[in-house]
Amino acid sequence: MSTQKWKVTFKVHRQKANNSPNYDEYKLEVDPEEYVLDAVERIWAFHDRSLTFAHACHHSTCGACGMRVNGVEKLTCITFIHEIAKNGSTIKIEPLRNFPVISDLVVDMSTLYSGMEMVGQRPIVPLSEEPAASDIKPVKAKDGDYIRLSDCIECGLCISACPVATTTSGYFGPAILAGARQASINGGAETLKLVDCADGVWRCHSAYECTEVCPSFVEPGKKIMQLRRAVLGSRIKSLFGSRN
Amino acid sequence: MTTYTNKPSPSNWLKWFDPRHRDTGTWAFILNRITALGLTFYLFLHLIILSQLAQGPDAYDSFLELAKTPIIVIGELLVIVAAIYHGLNGIRIGLTTFSETSNIQKTVFYFFILITVIGSLIFGIRMFTA
Amino acid sequence: MSQPHVIIIGAGFTGVATAHDLALRGLDVTVIERGSMVCGTSGRTHGLLHCGGRYCVKDQESAIECIEENLILRKIVPQVIEPNGGLFVALDEGDIEYSKEWLEGCEACQIPYKQLTHQQVLKLEPYLNPEVKLAYEVPDGTFDPLRLALAFAATAKSNGAKFQLYTDVTELIIDNTGRVTGLKIWDRTKDERRELHADMVVNATGAWAGEIADMAGANVPVRPTPGVMVAYEERFVNRAINRLCKPSDGDIVLPQRRMVVVGTTSFEVEDLDYVPVVDEQVDLMLERGAALIPGIKNAQMRGAYMATRPLIGAGLTGRSVARTFKCFDHKESDDIDGFVTITGGKATTLRQMAEKTSDIVCQKLDVEVECATAETPLLSYRQYYAL
Repeated sequence: MSTQKWKVTFKVHRQKANNSPNYDEYKLEVDPEEYVLDAVERIWAFHDRSLTFAHACHHSTCGACGMRVNGVEKLTCITFIHEIAKNGSTIKIEPLRNFPVISDLVVDMSTLYSGMEMVGQRPIVPLSEEPAASDIKPVKAKDGDYIRLSDCIECGLCISACPVATTTSGYFGPAILAGARQASINGGAETLKLVDCADGVWRCHSAYECTEVCPSFVEPGKKIMQLRRAVLGSRIKSLFGSRN
Repeated sequence: MTTYTNKPSPSNWLKWFDPRHRDTGTWAFILNRITALGLTFYLFLHLIILSQLAQGPDAYDSFLELAKTPIIVIGELLVIVAAIYHGLNGIRIGLTTFSETSNIQKTVFYFFILITVIGSLIFGIRMFTA
Repeated sequence: MSQPHVIIIGAGFTGVATAHDLALRGLDVTVIERGSMVCGTSGRTHGLLHCGGRYCVKDQESAIECIEENLILRKIVPQVIEPNGGLFVALDEGDIEYSKEWLEGCEACQIPYKQLTHQQVLKLEPYLNPEVKLAYEVPDGTFDPLRLALAFAATAKSNGAKFQLYTDVTELIIDNTGRVTGLKIWDRTKDERRELHADMVVNATGAWAGEIADMAGANVPVRPTPGVMVAYEERFVNRAINRLCKPSDGDIVLPQRRMVVVGTTSFEVEDLDYVPVVDEQVDLMLERGAALIPGIKNAQMRGAYMATRPLIGAGLTGRSVARTFKCFDHKESDDIDGFVTITGGKATTLRQMAEKTSDIVCQKLDVEVECATAETPLLSYRQYYAL
């Protein structure tokens, strides 16, 4: 944190119930090395208690604080002010796209969580499947591999950024397809069948916005392609009689 | 369990082509759509014209006159540009789908844009200096 | 005969765990939370599933609670826990000296430990400071804060509990006998104000417990005590690393997905609703974290934030205050019936805090159902949204 102070105007999306949205402006003094979420929290604490916004962990593990900052999907708890603004600029804060808005900056992410449940994405995976420090081979525990929380934090940024999700409400979306890939990596013919449909793995148009905005190393675009290969492989295998 | 439903709507048509705040991949996607629409339109035109040509030599001659006007030549150049880009992006998609190359998809896109520009220039120069 | 209606204020760990306990016992529960799920202190926990080793010398009550609950949580909600154990490491003479008391404390609180050789510990955690003098393995774990809460909330919801988020409590409704009979709320998603009635109101607002209790004219001696946490890129370790010293600043480093989190400090503050990050404390975390894991010195900072613990105690400050919890029946302490406060405690003991609170609530409402949460596995955390 530096001792500099910047004057920044925040233009925040406001919407209550089903009323039409508008933007409220708040002028704040910010430290360029603090996070966008800190500023949003201060707007609530000191300027406007009617503001609603979601947040929990403040260190990119819960996925609650995703918002569009100047039009681009960001996890606001790890986005420095200086990354997206300068002294005197205006920062636009909007809720994620492609999810129903509950109010202000809060969206309803039920479809994301339900979808993950549907494809069977595992919240906890063996360390060998998602090694986090690439140059160390983790020591195996006596009774199996160590396990870790999976990379995907279900933040919804990828779904918000996906141009297909914006125009096709039935599309499973990158998060869920990446989750299906993770769930079926050691088999899982059922999952592969589930995503092998027009609104599933074939709806992707390779825009790779998902990989661009993912804050958690998931690379959904890559996972979708791997899933496609797995689906095709499974189809070919079943053509020849064997079932995975 | 939530059910998924797809409801096509006119407002979606505008959202397809909105590149604001988005990265290279969205541009690839938008251009792919536009060239696809263009090429499909061209296909229909082509079939209509061919059917007219089946009506005899006079129709053919008057068509050839039309074909040499600058507007049509430009139109045909656009078809070529669209075909080159659309084909190359198709290769990009096939490449990233069937091999572990999605991490270089941006580089591949820029490279294919370069080829599209070069190809278009070559065809353009040949068509307008023939 | 309809079930008694209990309103719980606060959807932090205590609120969701109590909602689960009461809903499991068949009561009608509504949870009111002014923000999003666990957006206060609970969400910001570094996620250490304590084995109790940190408290086994000076705060044995807390230590025993921790090891008991550690084992229970591993059984009922494994979906959000990395059960990879933990280490207590000594780096200097002072640490080595402390280890004698520490070992006695572990024995007294029945915390299992196993000494590792220098070679063993560095093989286990290659990024640990190679100057490590002593190392003991303990059954620590790490967990995902939000998803732990969602698992409790999902199970509560499946038993009929209702959650109303983004809703402020503006006033407690007290009748002329001095009994809390409900509360006035402001639903900020619709900008609507309403009244809710309840047979019992549980104040589970943690660090804010004093503020809510004030609304009833009740007194809760909670001392909000914030501390800093800093997250760095790179998952240097796969288990919690504790400094083998008496509880002090920056003596815990643990993995959280692809990061490590270093915590924490302890100081007092007036305004709870926003606690700014203090640069000196962040620098201190870097120093203390790097002492345990030298790689942190060159790591990129990913996040820095403040979390306010609710410490209970009158007279003492900071680290000398016990980390245990307390349930206040305001009929006894302030002659205000229908109102109960639960505060203090730690994330690891959430289920036990809920059990004690629910026991008191049920006793006051004449509901004779035993607690079953220790044996009841929780639903998948995603069911909170899928239900």
